[in-house]
Amino acid sequence: MRWIIFIGLIAFFSCKKDLASTTPVMDNIDTTTADIKYDGSFMNGPFGSVSGMVKIYTEDQQYSLALINVVISNGPDLHVYLSKEEQPGQFIDLGKLKSTTGNQVYSITGTPDFSEYKYVLIHCQKYNHLFGAARIAQ
Amino acid sequence: MKGILFVVILLVLAMLANGQKIEDIRINRYADFAGTIGQSQGSLSASYVHNWKLWKKRKWETGFSLRWSSYFGTKTEFITAPARLARTNTTPFLIFFAGQRKETQDTLTVQRPFTNSVNLAINFGYNFSQKWSGGFNIDLIGFSFGRKSPAILTSNGEMQTEPSAKPASFNLLLTGDHDLGSLNSEFFLRYHLNDTWSVRAIYEFLFVEYKTSSVKQVAPDGTEVYRFRNKANTFGLGIAYHFKTIRYI
Repeated sequence: MRWIIFIGLIAFFSCKKDLASTTPVMDNIDTTTADIKYDGSFMNGPFGSVSGMVKIYTEDQQYSLALINVVISNGPDLHVYLSKEEQPGQFIDLGKLKSTTGNQVYSITGTPDFSEYKYVLIHCQKYNHLFGAARIAQ
Repeated sequence: MKGILFVVILLVLAMLANGQKIEDIRINRYADFAGTIGQSQGSLSASYVHNWKLWKKRKWETGFSLRWSSYFGTKTEFITAPARLARTNTTPFLIFFAGQRKETQDTLTVQRPFTNSVNLAINFGYNFSQKWSGGFNIDLIGFSFGRKSPAILTSNGEMQTEPSAKPASFNLLLTGDHDLGSLNSEFFLRYHLNDTWSVRAIYEFLFVEYKTSSVKQVAPDGTEVYRFRNKANTFGLGIAYHFKTIRYI
């Protein structure tokens, strides 16, 4: 019995470790020097809920992705993708989700072709579960 | 024919009834349990080993074992498996010393790999003293099964989701990157606590292979690749229970 409790506790804390932070992030982008190139609104995915906006900024030929006023249901190993499809088929991984709420900025390396990468996804990488998607347009 | 069989059975029974039982020190049989751990991955194994001690001094021993190896990890990287794409030279045995072909290797990051392999292995050992011994073993052939897992194939900087990568089912030792499937090997140092129990310190080198089903690497020669291999270097401990082998004289 003690072993079962021990293993259960390990499994519980392993899952907790993977969850995104719930502390709101308030990243700022300097809108006086950065231009908005694309934007869109999030829709819920089959495995979670995402609300808020996404904007793609460019400054000195460097692209950044900003999540604006987002509220995301928490899950393990959540990542932000720039994707060619509404499902995470071919994508660029911008990194782990910083928080489930707030305004967050992610830098985009290189110059992706936004006529191909038309979606921003919040995706649980560990279990391949899509939490939400936003189609971006000019 | 029946008569001959009857006589043979009688002779065996007579030998068992009258013969003297002694422990056969030429044979080393044991059940072994081991666990190893590495970066974001680990393994557990259980094996039954039957070794024969060689020559007059019986310092050397060799034999076979049946081994169950379980491998588990989290976000583990598997690279392009076929030898012609993984190594600069594919000549058997020389392949060990060949360089890596980084330009043709893609990476499959398996999110939650878990495989079980049952393999026939060959063992080699040397008994330094009554208490200390060391050895090497390697899987030869067997089969694998395990958990399907989401994975991400990174190819030329582009990422694709593989919804359901699965362990390769057939295992065969063919030297180096020619190997197929999941094969375990160990270098170890053993300390005998008494006649029955011993403990081991282990360095384990474990090949594990996953296959993709919906996404594939397209190699520079146009061929499609769906086999990806992880080479896990792990360290661990083992414990063995030694059986007494009785023979009649």
